[in-house]
Amino acid sequence: MHTLRIQIRDNDGAVLRALGLIERRCYRLRSCVIGETNDGGRTMEVSVSSSRSGDLLKRQLERLHDVMKVELQPVAIVDGQHSAIRPLGRRN
Amino acid sequence: MTASPNPAVKLRSGSQMLIDALRRNGVEHVFGYPGGAIMPLYDALVGSGLQHYLCRHEQGAALAADAYGRSTRKAGVCMATSGPGATNLVTGIANAFMDSVPMVVITGQVPTALLGTDAFQEVDIFGITLPIVKHSYIVRDIATIPHLVDEAFQLAQGGRPGPVLIDFPKDISTAMGAEPDYQPLPPAEFTLPDTKAIKTASEVLGQARRPLVIAGGGITISDSVQAFREFAAHTGVPVTATLKGLGVMPTDDDCFVGMLGMHGNGAANHAVQNCDVLVVVGARFDDRATGQLAQFAPSARVIHLDIDPAEISKLRRAEVAVIGDLATALDGIRPGTAGRASWRAQCAAWKKEFAWRYDAPGKGIYAPKLLRDLSRLSPGDLTITCDVGQHQMWVAQHCKFDDPLDHLSSGGLGTMGYGLPAAIGVKIAKPEATVVCVSGDGSIMMNIQELATIKRYDLEVKIILLDNSALGLVRQWQELFFNENYSEVDLSDNPDFALVAEAFGIPSRSISKPGEVAAALDWLLSAEGPALLHVSINPRENVWPLVAPGNPNHKMMQANSAKKR
Repeated sequence: MHTLRIQIRDNDGAVLRALGLIERRCYRLRSCVIGETNDGGRTMEVSVSSSRSGDLLKRQLERLHDVMKVELQPVAIVDGQHSAIRPLGRRN
Repeated sequence: MTASPNPAVKLRSGSQMLIDALRRNGVEHVFGYPGGAIMPLYDALVGSGLQHYLCRHEQGAALAADAYGRSTRKAGVCMATSGPGATNLVTGIANAFMDSVPMVVITGQVPTALLGTDAFQEVDIFGITLPIVKHSYIVRDIATIPHLVDEAFQLAQGGRPGPVLIDFPKDISTAMGAEPDYQPLPPAEFTLPDTKAIKTASEVLGQARRPLVIAGGGITISDSVQAFREFAAHTGVPVTATLKGLGVMPTDDDCFVGMLGMHGNGAANHAVQNCDVLVVVGARFDDRATGQLAQFAPSARVIHLDIDPAEISKLRRAEVAVIGDLATALDGIRPGTAGRASWRAQCAAWKKEFAWRYDAPGKGIYAPKLLRDLSRLSPGDLTITCDVGQHQMWVAQHCKFDDPLDHLSSGGLGTMGYGLPAAIGVKIAKPEATVVCVSGDGSIMMNIQELATIKRYDLEVKIILLDNSALGLVRQWQELFFNENYSEVDLSDNPDFALVAEAFGIPSRSISKPGEVAAALDWLLSAEGPALLHVSINPRENVWPLVAPGNPNHKMMQANSAKKR
């Protein structure tokens, strides 16, 4: 499981573009919370499962013009299992 | 934006503003096809100074714009109406996306009030193209047009280039307003590679005994061919190339071992499987180049140079990643002579061992020989566009390219139907070039209507149609991997292509014997205006060598290892 916090511009299709990329690159979306930042942008907190690297997904998301910042949560293992989504906390 | 209350302020329509913005971005030529929702833009086109080329299918317009963009390294521009016009562009947009080609696509759209109502010719082209564009816009306010268009061009052309779509609703294209204040965009950020990474790359390459370089399409896209050649000359490292990297090193250069991959040359594939350091420059480990990934270059430490951080370790882990401008990176990697003389001698020996042979058995015209003759007889300004299939691989294997821009091939998407519109795009971008489209009997029918475009604008495009009365590459796979169970590959009822060309007003000739080739090529190249040479070839001819799916690159099937010839 990878958990990412994505800051995006509030442009046409920006959320779809990021979510579409995630699924298209074979990361299975497990949860997604969309919020607003103080400056009118959007934040997305997503958890995805995949055998592929979270860092690669981060770099693929960063290519999108609408994406301003991506933070990848370190993977936590709890009782031998990947942790469920942990709240990332608001940073704005 | 509302109309200015001051009558002295000149009002412009959204369409005029869009065209002004195209011109400001240096656009001279556009490819397209009009229709309902984009009529205001076509209205503004008249007398605008932009030269519009009417293709006969929107896919032709998109693929012509792709080739124009490849040739000039500036965004090719295409436009079409909403609905079917827009969906017909999709293949061309995907083609540009897969090969990192700068392109700006403008689609008409139903008025904003009708968006989402299933209006006539409404389709969500913005949504449809999300996976295949670098970025896209829906224009919602004419005041945003100058900035939006500038940004579209900057994105399309900057970094790793790609297509950018501008969806233009009809009410926005007809809205009137004062010319918005124009603020030029700051220049795009230029990613310079990390000097430490360059130093590490030099060290690792300096330690190599058996180094090899893969030249990829990114070198051409980033205008780094000269820097690459200087790097190659400095290091003396043998060079192979991907399909899109052909011509980065001149084909006849001593250090060039040929194209690698599924239909690559034996020398290249053996070199790549035996190297101990692999420098990958502007290439992305495509499966057609690597064969089975797990066994690709099994003992190599990889140095990967690319402008796109998302390509690093996507498929093959890079020990050293140099991210940023390729020319700067290549200028900085100076390990001194890399590798041993015995390795270079081994590569030279492989080149000799696997040199192409043209003494094919059989009485018919041997297409590889015809293509070799074409590229060696022709003037230096020859540009070849290809379609997709056996002929495309033969062009890659047997034609000589001294400049990568002399070879336009649909690499990533493998779009049958690319060749003819691509020839149109190149001829308009480079009117002085001798443009030859090499096509097949399957591919040419995918965009045969573009013969009308060639005739309409009297574009001196030369067409070589290699006709094996079959979907040759599919037939080859059915022969080799599907127990000769031939399924829907027979095209023996093809139309009379020479007659088809004549019907479009394009002179043609048909040949079927080896003795006719020289005179026919001479006729084709010296004919004034467009011409088509129809060449009948053996339907059972295959492309060799072939790395079968799931195999490493050094396990190449040759003609004599297949069941039948």
